[in-house]
Amino acid sequence: MLAEYFSYEAIAILMFATMILMLLTGQRVFGAIGFVAAAAALLLWGNGAVEMPFTASWKLFKWYPMLTLPLFIYMGYMISESGIANDLYKMFHVYFGGTRGGLAIGTMLMMVAISAMNGLSVAGMAVGATIALPEMLKRNYDKRMISGVVQAGSSLGILIPPSVVLVLYGMIARQPVSKLWLAGLIPGLIMATLFILYIYIRCRLQPELGPVLPEKERKMPLIDKIKLLRAGIIPFFIFFVMTGLFIMGIASLVECSAVGALAATVAAWSKGRLNLKVIEDVCKKTLGVSCMFMWIILAALCFGAVFDGIGASKAIESLFIERWNLSPWGVLIMMQLSYILMGMFLDDTAMLVIVAPLYVPLIIALGFDPIWYGVLYTITCQIAYMTPPFGYNLFLMRAMAPKEITLIDIYRSIIPFVLVMLFGLIIMMRFPQIALWLPTTILG
Amino acid sequence: MPTIFILYVKVIDKITDIIGRITMYTVFAMMAILVLSFVTRNIINFPLLWIIEMAQFIMTGYYLMGGAYSMKENQHVRMDLVYGSFSEKNKARMDLFTSIFLIFYLIVLLIGSYNSLVYTLETKKTLFSAWRPYVWPISSIMFTGILLMILQTVSIVFKDYAKVKGIKI
Repeated sequence: MLAEYFSYEAIAILMFATMILMLLTGQRVFGAIGFVAAAAALLLWGNGAVEMPFTASWKLFKWYPMLTLPLFIYMGYMISESGIANDLYKMFHVYFGGTRGGLAIGTMLMMVAISAMNGLSVAGMAVGATIALPEMLKRNYDKRMISGVVQAGSSLGILIPPSVVLVLYGMIARQPVSKLWLAGLIPGLIMATLFILYIYIRCRLQPELGPVLPEKERKMPLIDKIKLLRAGIIPFFIFFVMTGLFIMGIASLVECSAVGALAATVAAWSKGRLNLKVIEDVCKKTLGVSCMFMWIILAALCFGAVFDGIGASKAIESLFIERWNLSPWGVLIMMQLSYILMGMFLDDTAMLVIVAPLYVPLIIALGFDPIWYGVLYTITCQIAYMTPPFGYNLFLMRAMAPKEITLIDIYRSIIPFVLVMLFGLIIMMRFPQIALWLPTTILG
Repeated sequence: MPTIFILYVKVIDKITDIIGRITMYTVFAMMAILVLSFVTRNIINFPLLWIIEMAQFIMTGYYLMGGAYSMKENQHVRMDLVYGSFSEKNKARMDLFTSIFLIFYLIVLLIGSYNSLVYTLETKKTLFSAWRPYVWPISSIMFTGILLMILQTVSIVFKDYAKVKGIKI
């Protein structure tokens, strides 16, 4: 009945506008999205559409790779409880403390190691906020810079394999996750390098941002210094058993996440950190975060189904190509821009579920590589996770960061890092080989 | 506030707690059967037919049965651009209002899951696979999870109401 009065385009815009309004009320994200989707379905198609929201749960049921989500979340929390990160931090502290901004650079490297063991940004965020931030604050590092370091660094978790975002993208775009993961590796490392270069140059120019550590804090016998390097063994081991077994085709995707979760538990046990309290804590947090994501995806799937029903995919295609007369590259840039813009105001996970099905077919039709686009998409997602007013990383950061770091600090800290990421994004767009070289070399 | 409301909140929160605490440990069940699958496929070369569906069943139960507990523990992300600057009381007021939308969505979900449950029970539907498990057990878990989610949301509504009125539950 709604369709009698409005064009489909108007309905799509109306749905988005209502969603933003609902989100602004501060209702839980899944509730806001689910309501708009359910109400739109009922208004558009009457009582026959009453089952639409629930149908999404069967779709989610069939998305077998979604099993990696709780297992990776579990793994992330287990790693942050296991003390692996403390050892890593100590190692970088001693090795890099002597350079200006060295602790921030060390933290970034630690984030790379954590990202290689985890598929989300949660673990990096938890470790960064509880271990690295307090240490760096104590040593008079500039709080705005280090808050940005932790946020940007932990966002690498979704680009460097394993990555849950790429799993989700893989399901929506129907692309093999093994290729996507491999495609994310080099861009992830390049992104980390860019971050480190930024920190290094910034601290060269403004030494007060990252003071050099006093000699006595870093001094220790050579043998102890070498022993510190052992901190790197467990991360390598976990990366190998998990991502390695999967890429080699020995473990399936969900199996590798379970093996990884088990490996993280064993690592915590071997360090004497595993007890009932920790297990309970980790399980509780895992359930909370998994449920949060799953309910958002559930609601977003329904929203996406309504969009599909009103032919939004075709509408976007005709808008970009026929009405605006954009070239393929113009379309691509429009997509990234619109995604960053929407990601600021809407929930990013939901965006992935709603927007990817609209964009990916168009990308393939225009002759772009969907694997490469997955990497671009993930980088855009990283940016969206960090940009205010709404971003999941911001939300986590606010909950976990030490009290000295205010909301304004958090907001302002990301600006330089977002610029670096945009620069990285442009490089990846201009040179698709960066992403595609590794998957083509290994998997053909 | 009538005692019946307070009693409702206490009972529902307790049930949510118990179910949530059981649910949160099923992550180990997922882990166990997937590691088992890895071992049987690769080491003793004996693939098990029921692994995929079983894992899917547990996964679905995990987030649907865990939903109410995550609601109670306030684990769901909100956009707090405006909301975050409200006082506790105004937050509760806002939630009281917007819970209408949330409950609407949940009720639509519940109707869908009820229809699905009745259908799978009547037709004795099985999944299309080598193992061919019945679908109704998971349908009933889905229905229960969503029902529990509604009951918990109502409990939160009562708690918000109490907060607005300045009553302690």
